[in-house]
Amino acid sequence: MTSSPFASLNRRQLLQLAALLGGAGALAACGGPAVGQAGGAATDKATDWTAVTPAKEITWWSNHPGTSKDIETELIKRFTAESGIKVNLVTAGANYDEVAQKFQAASGSSNVPDLVIASDVWWFRYMINGQILPLDQLAKHLEFGTEDFNTTLFNDYEFTGSHWAVPYARSTPLFYYNKAVWEKAGLPDRAPKTWAEFDEWAPKIKGAGVMPLGLGKGTSWSAWWFCNMLWGAGGAYSKEWAMTLDTPEAVEAAKYLQKIIYTDKTAAVTAKDQVADFGAGITGCTIASTGSLSGLLGTAKFELGTGFLPEGADGPACPTGGTGLAIPAGKAPEQQLAAAMFLKFLTNAENTAYFSSNTGYMPVRTSALEGETMKAVYAKTPQFRTAVDQLAGTRVQDWGRVFVPNGDKDLTTALEKIMLQQGDPAEAFAVASASITKSYEENVLPYL
Amino acid sequence: MAQLATLAPPPARTAGRPDKPPVHGAGGQALRKRRTPWKSWLLFLLFAGPNVALLVIFTYKPLVQSLQYSLLQWNIGSATARFVGLGNYTAWFTDPTTPNVVRVTVVFTLATVAGGMVLGLSLALLLNRKLRGTGMARTVVVAPYVLSGVAVGLLWLFVFDPNFGVLGAMLKAVGLGSPDWYNDPAWALPMIIVVYLWKNTGYVALIYLAALQAVPRDLFEAATLDGAGPFASFRNVVLPLLGPTTFFLSVTTLLSSLQSFDIIQAMTQGGPLEGTTTMMYQIYQEGFATGRAGYSSAIATILFLVLLAITAVQMLFIQKKVHY
Amino acid sequence: MGLQVQERVTVKQRSRAGGYLMLLLAVAAMVLPLAWMMLASFKDRDEIYTVPIQWLPASFDLSNYADALAAVPFGNFFINSIITTAVGATLKIVLALTTAYAVVFLEFPFKKFVFGLVVFALLVPQQIVIIPNYTLIADLGWINTYQGLILPGLASAFGTFLFRQHFLTLPVSILEAAALDGASHWTRLWRFVVPISSPTIAAVALVSIVSEWNEYLWPLLVVDRAEMMTLPVGLTLLQNNDGVTNWGVLMAGTVLITVPVLIVFFLLQRRIVTGLTSGAVTG
Repeated sequence: MTSSPFASLNRRQLLQLAALLGGAGALAACGGPAVGQAGGAATDKATDWTAVTPAKEITWWSNHPGTSKDIETELIKRFTAESGIKVNLVTAGANYDEVAQKFQAASGSSNVPDLVIASDVWWFRYMINGQILPLDQLAKHLEFGTEDFNTTLFNDYEFTGSHWAVPYARSTPLFYYNKAVWEKAGLPDRAPKTWAEFDEWAPKIKGAGVMPLGLGKGTSWSAWWFCNMLWGAGGAYSKEWAMTLDTPEAVEAAKYLQKIIYTDKTAAVTAKDQVADFGAGITGCTIASTGSLSGLLGTAKFELGTGFLPEGADGPACPTGGTGLAIPAGKAPEQQLAAAMFLKFLTNAENTAYFSSNTGYMPVRTSALEGETMKAVYAKTPQFRTAVDQLAGTRVQDWGRVFVPNGDKDLTTALEKIMLQQGDPAEAFAVASASITKSYEENVLPYL
Repeated sequence: MAQLATLAPPPARTAGRPDKPPVHGAGGQALRKRRTPWKSWLLFLLFAGPNVALLVIFTYKPLVQSLQYSLLQWNIGSATARFVGLGNYTAWFTDPTTPNVVRVTVVFTLATVAGGMVLGLSLALLLNRKLRGTGMARTVVVAPYVLSGVAVGLLWLFVFDPNFGVLGAMLKAVGLGSPDWYNDPAWALPMIIVVYLWKNTGYVALIYLAALQAVPRDLFEAATLDGAGPFASFRNVVLPLLGPTTFFLSVTTLLSSLQSFDIIQAMTQGGPLEGTTTMMYQIYQEGFATGRAGYSSAIATILFLVLLAITAVQMLFIQKKVHY
Repeated sequence: MGLQVQERVTVKQRSRAGGYLMLLLAVAAMVLPLAWMMLASFKDRDEIYTVPIQWLPASFDLSNYADALAAVPFGNFFINSIITTAVGATLKIVLALTTAYAVVFLEFPFKKFVFGLVVFALLVPQQIVIIPNYTLIADLGWINTYQGLILPGLASAFGTFLFRQHFLTLPVSILEAAALDGASHWTRLWRFVVPISSPTIAAVALVSIVSEWNEYLWPLLVVDRAEMMTLPVGLTLLQNNDGVTNWGVLMAGTVLITVPVLIVFFLLQRRIVTGLTSGAVTG
């Protein structure tokens, strides 16, 4: 008796097997992508929306950002009461990536939703794949009042003059500090205004017995908050499609990062979760998403302070993140119209404030910022006010990070080389730039 | 999905000649006397047909489709694609990250296969001794094998966490610092290997134990009476008898190790610095996270060919080394 | 002589002590992480994230479990896992038995080729087949259905191989007697072959149950309604993005999906293990 599952086959049988595989190839010819045809984004073709009757039922794929399933359900209930349109809320994954996996796998099948979560690093890929609809015509038809959206948040979804999604659960990085530590270090009760000021304060924080700054790592995170240091120093990941990490400003930003980690030893990269480290009092301050605010308020045993991200030599700099909502192309206009009506309802001033007050995401409309709902929130948690105020100075993300499929991953690898291994910034950036440029040429350019 | 487990059969022991099952002797001929060929073919079809059909539909057809995809530049989710010939293959072989992925894959596979076999055999030898409590110990040792990879990954996150984990605290208690499991690729890979071994070694031990219990006790004793020490008797008498089991385990644990995914997904997502990105994890990441389905299919095909080659070598090895 | 005996005894005792020590170490290595998980499932968030670590929770109340059960429909996950595992594993074993029986006992010109076709499926990496299979299942309208969850993974390569190897060793006399009694192949399989194959069936059952219960990637894709999710997929819903993951709740969820399999295993282990070992001795 032989011990391998394959040992009893001889060469002839292997050949037969190979022949059969060839036969299965003929079977396999159906399904999959069409080869050689022109692809690319859907067009804002002139559907006469006035002639379309909205569908009675639509499906929405969400991951319930910020454990918001109950809030979303409540908003749906209100919408159905108002419009008579039924909305099926589907838990399409635990995070943005899982929703994206499913949405892309579903492409071309009958299982496509009418409304889908589209995070800052995913919507562009949906667009070039022709999976989502440009929304400008629909927004005009339904009178969305798009000028009232926070400009940065709305223009994050702009490409070639069209908007491809609408902001929904949006966040920014925020500076969090431990007030007890600050007091012990004898510092004023505020965040450092600049990184230079942080450098002045850091030894005092260290004197209070904690690691001053905790930094996050991992994909979709490191390259996000590093926007602050990079832009603050006058650099950028890219200018449109051209990578700009070889500029002296970009290298300078990375060198500053290495200085606080390796020379000053006033910052440390977390093992798993910088929010948890900070909440446990291991670090004196950290940069984390505004979405972490309610969690930290609930668990930190010290008084929590928040502030704007420190400025660099070139001034303040803050990116935005989180997710918007997009309407899939290729569905019937009736479905699309109903989805757009729901989208308008979901993001109106009243409901964005309601969603924000319950989750900690940013209100996406300017008119919502000073409404009653938000004022009540500020009164209860003044820390949230800081986050909302910072929104005014945010900036649209660099294309090289969010539009190229492996952009964020390659930048994360470069930053980890810089942060974890004290690698040469210029070299690490060069590797990432080359890879992102190549990926742009292969995976993006042919579809534009 | 075609599951592959580390389970092996009761070890190969006695056994008939594989090509001539006993039932096909003279008696077997008698059984089939009155059967017309088409009838027996139909019977065969009824018995084996469903399984084969399922495999063709859900394994072989997708395999061929994937071979086709590997020749395309195709963003997953897109309705269209470009034919690029072998472009994805040359891209992978020339990519600067490829040597690292290959290294991680080889280290992970060798460590989990060889480590699993050595640890599993040691455990089996231990459990085979006449000690009290081995029954209970046997159960406990195999238990992790039945747990979900996701759950195992999540629970070990907290064991290894340098700040909040139990391992760090224990190391601290004896005056050592915790290695930077999550930030140093040189430590992250061993961490993943340890967790994989924790989950899967028990099964290898169980299979070896079953094989050991089939070794007659007097063989051990005979060897000892000859004056051979325990190690010599183990090497000269027991180990050769375990040959078939070892072969079987080496094939099956290799296959499952090369395809392991969920522990890495739950613990490191391939990081830090791609220090735990195996080929299998890269296939997942390129296919779903990055969305380059053609490129991902090309890597999958390469992995498939490697598995094929290893299996072919294994076959040659076994054919040369007949045990009976 | 007497001295020699005494020496041998102490050597033996020392090696026994060493054996017990090793045994203890092995058991501790397996049990400690599980114990740590159990303890964490009772802890508040700030008891988990504290330095130095806190070994025991302040109290053994079940609030994390209540939170986990309230956050996601664990009851549904549980039922779905049980259904897919029971149906999937059973059918898988049946398919493997019939295929192996056909390959060993039935006449067919290409049966070695068929056997090769079945076992070579072991070489195909799981990730490779996922996208095409998803497209197929979605086109059939089987998203969020049990058949969509079960069918693509149903074919049995491994079990077929194990059963074939086992069947080749079965004594001819039993089947000959059955054939003379006029029993059909179907009867021969279930009445005569299956009963004397229980150790191998136990082994295949263990593998099938474990892999069905723990399957992650496929159910993740093919189900998007929480009511249809299985436990490993549902567990990830407890992880929160953008916010602060509550690890106590996540660990409670992990305990909830881990403990049932452990209980089943402990109940069945005597059968599985003795089945395997006795199979090795006698079969």
